[in-house]
Amino acid sequence: MLRRHKWIVPASFLLLPLLVYFTFVILPTLNSLYYSFTNWVGYGSDYKFIGLANFEKIFSDRLFSNAIRNTAIWLALAMTVPTLLGLALALGLQGKRRINTVYKSLFYLPICLSPVIIGIIWVWLYSPKLGIVNIFLRALGLNELATAWLANPNTALIAVFVAWAWQQTGLNMVIFLAGLTSVPAPLVEAAKVDGANTWQTLRKVIIPMLRPSTVVVLALTAINALKSFEIIWVMTRGGPFNKSDTLAVFMYSESFRKFKMGYGSSAAVILFAMTLIIIFLYFKQIARAEELYD
Amino acid sequence: MIRPEPPTLLEKSGGGATPLSPPEKSGGGATPLSPPEKSGGGKAPAWIARGVWSRRLSVALRYGALTIMLVLFMAPVYGAIVTAFKTQAEVSAGGYWTIPRRFTIDNFARVMDPDAGNLGLYLGNSLLLTIPASLLSIGLGTLAGYGLGKYRFRGDGLLFVFIVAGMFLPPQIALIPVFRLMNDIGLYDTLWAVIIIHTAFGIPICTLVMRNFFQVVPNALREAALIDGANEYSIFLRIMLPLTLPALAVLATLQFTWIWNDFLWPFILTQRAESRTIMVGILNLTGQYTVDWGGQAAASLIGSLPTLFIFIFFQRYFIKGLTLGAVKG
Repeated sequence: MLRRHKWIVPASFLLLPLLVYFTFVILPTLNSLYYSFTNWVGYGSDYKFIGLANFEKIFSDRLFSNAIRNTAIWLALAMTVPTLLGLALALGLQGKRRINTVYKSLFYLPICLSPVIIGIIWVWLYSPKLGIVNIFLRALGLNELATAWLANPNTALIAVFVAWAWQQTGLNMVIFLAGLTSVPAPLVEAAKVDGANTWQTLRKVIIPMLRPSTVVVLALTAINALKSFEIIWVMTRGGPFNKSDTLAVFMYSESFRKFKMGYGSSAAVILFAMTLIIIFLYFKQIARAEELYD
Repeated sequence: MIRPEPPTLLEKSGGGATPLSPPEKSGGGATPLSPPEKSGGGKAPAWIARGVWSRRLSVALRYGALTIMLVLFMAPVYGAIVTAFKTQAEVSAGGYWTIPRRFTIDNFARVMDPDAGNLGLYLGNSLLLTIPASLLSIGLGTLAGYGLGKYRFRGDGLLFVFIVAGMFLPPQIALIPVFRLMNDIGLYDTLWAVIIIHTAFGIPICTLVMRNFFQVVPNALREAALIDGANEYSIFLRIMLPLTLPALAVLATLQFTWIWNDFLWPFILTQRAESRTIMVGILNLTGQYTVDWGGQAAASLIGSLPTLFIFIFFQRYFIKGLTLGAVKG
């Protein structure tokens, strides 16, 4: 009787969630792998298994290599800019002053907005004539810098990225602030008593103590960056001349605009593989951290 | 693997994180160093005074920099708000930044009008989608979290990793098969399709939070009830569930916000206006009224109101959820 309890009771709690999770998350994931070996076009069941042909084709597809290049730029920016900004804001706003609570709330605010709405708002900001970005530049006398940010092939990707970073910075700040509460105050005090200045305390005491949070921030940002689609779609549709076409956008256009579902699946699989690499690196870092602290 | 510390850490962060006395006091009294200059009578030595001034200066500099950042950060929000209450003529003449000379709510009326923007319908659809999908994902996550948090069985750790891994999956990997599956079972272009998919994709985060929560609920509670003759399910329903309210509140704010704001899934899985969600509706609107900034701004405000409401009134839970969700692995 009691022995049977050992697995029947937990199983009765787990059965339903597992069933839903398996059917609508795991099974589709595996199915994508399968479709990436087919030439399915999105309707009917008239398709065949074509082995690695999609992957052979994709690696010689100029649009794909373009998307990879854009994704690389996007990732590099994503892992540095919002991370540093989030850290700076968290350091500036740690502690319990009442004003900090207000400031923090306002910096968090973009987190609760939809990427669609963020995209729409930033499209106005970049508007060539009436947008604040150009108004600001002209006011500073930098007329030649004012451009049609989203229509200019040289600036489109970066312009979209800034809008994306606007939201991501707040998220990173939340994680860094949580991390800062685990930095023991006596340690920081001790460093100051020993004559360390603010910069030295930061470099030698606080930043090393924030290592776990930094790992989390970097992993989360990278994963978010790889899958971000909405904001790019809203702002540029991947244009102009595919200059802001990342892997996530490429995957969508191939699958749901050109209806090359098999081909699009292989792009999804590559995106998935990149996520797996990040997760792998992340868990390796976590394991290393645990070894260090044990 | 998953550490139960985050919740306790967070609790500490609010209250007495520093048991130490403030640094100012400890500096003044017992300094082991002798002042570098001769201290003049009862007055504080010059080096201490200089310390106070440089501290004040650095605080001023810090908040100066933070305030500049904040103004830059809030500019888009400010712009959206003032534009929403401006007439079209004023937007195209004065741009985006001035305070409305003639305050109007026409923009809101236009985007809500069933014959124009029709946002009312899409708002209703989004509610019909977001509320059930949030409740279902939290319900299923609570079941799974309880099964994994309160029972030990072979392979429980592995099963947990298997479920939590779903949190990292990019939606793109499931997009095409889900699109096909929903077509095959006849749910394509219904809200049901989006409800199901958000329920399923919400299970990992809900399981993670609930499992961590149940792990720190003392076992003695359950054992005492078992001795009193309660069965496992009545323990879950009568003793455990009432305890979970704070965790459920955290998840409710998170899930509602994500699902409400999501665009990709409804964009892929629905087509007709009758099943269109608010975010898809707003984007369509910007396609129709490309120069109507006032309308777009009003639509953006309307579409953000529910999540702003949560953000303003339940921020503590929301931020806690973000931290719990982030400190995974």
